[in-house]
Amino acid sequence: MNADQVLTEIREANLSYLMLAQSLIRADREQALYRLGVTEESAAMIAMLTPAQMMKIASGNTLLCRFRMDDDLVWGLLTNHGKGSANDTTNRLHASILLAGRHQEAA
Amino acid sequence: MRSKSILTEAKQIERAVTLINLGARLQVLESETDLSYERLLRLYKEVSGKSPSKGQLPFSTDWFMTWQPNIHASLFLNIHEYLNKVAELDEIDTVIKAYKLYQEQTTAQNLEALLSITRAWRLVKFVDNGMLTLTQCSKCGGKFVTHPHEIAKHYVCGLCSPPARAGKGKSAGGIQMH
Repeated sequence: MNADQVLTEIREANLSYLMLAQSLIRADREQALYRLGVTEESAAMIAMLTPAQMMKIASGNTLLCRFRMDDDLVWGLLTNHGKGSANDTTNRLHASILLAGRHQEAA
Repeated sequence: MRSKSILTEAKQIERAVTLINLGARLQVLESETDLSYERLLRLYKEVSGKSPSKGQLPFSTDWFMTWQPNIHASLFLNIHEYLNKVAELDEIDTVIKAYKLYQEQTTAQNLEALLSITRAWRLVKFVDNGMLTLTQCSKCGGKFVTHPHEIAKHYVCGLCSPPARAGKGKSAGGIQMH
């Protein structure tokens, strides 16, 4: 991927994210806070964005959303590495419980 | 009838319809709306096309302590707590929204939603009354439904240390360990 492609891909990802986030927030704000893991303030800002603003924010060399499961435990459960005893569904359920319990990132 | 405002009543009817569609028992509707029993009964028949099931609600906390139900209840309650922290909603709306998210999650993983809306509602009441609580697992750090006064230092959840017979059941939509 050359530099131009990188920028294009990032803009595409940012735009998709912002559009999805905005429609989720407009459909059901509270559920969107859970799905997106963003604060109420961020949600309010995203909800207000105009298409032109969105285009502007989306262009840049950094992504707007960040990775939410940056620890070994949840990552291991999701990718099925680590303990081999439980099956895939059970591990994902376990990961969901752990992720749902983390509201500090939203608080 | 307590609710004099038509708007309030409309909101309550809408809420009741949502609850009926989620499969709530009549007792939940009676407790969460000001609508009269007769009107709720009529509404129930109109929405679901059948008479509501009769009989008492299950009112023991034991069900939530068994292995599979405990995992489902814990997932729901974690979502509920999350919504509680980030948004200011009427209590019953938090239950409804959290339940829908829980249902989505189980559907996405091809699991049967073992926790009914009535049980979910009961669970929240149990937690409010201090009969059940969330305790952090000492191994994975996740929060799980337990009786209060569980010694947190030694508590290990049902997923980190499943009981011997756990997940051996063949029923479709159940949690499997192998």
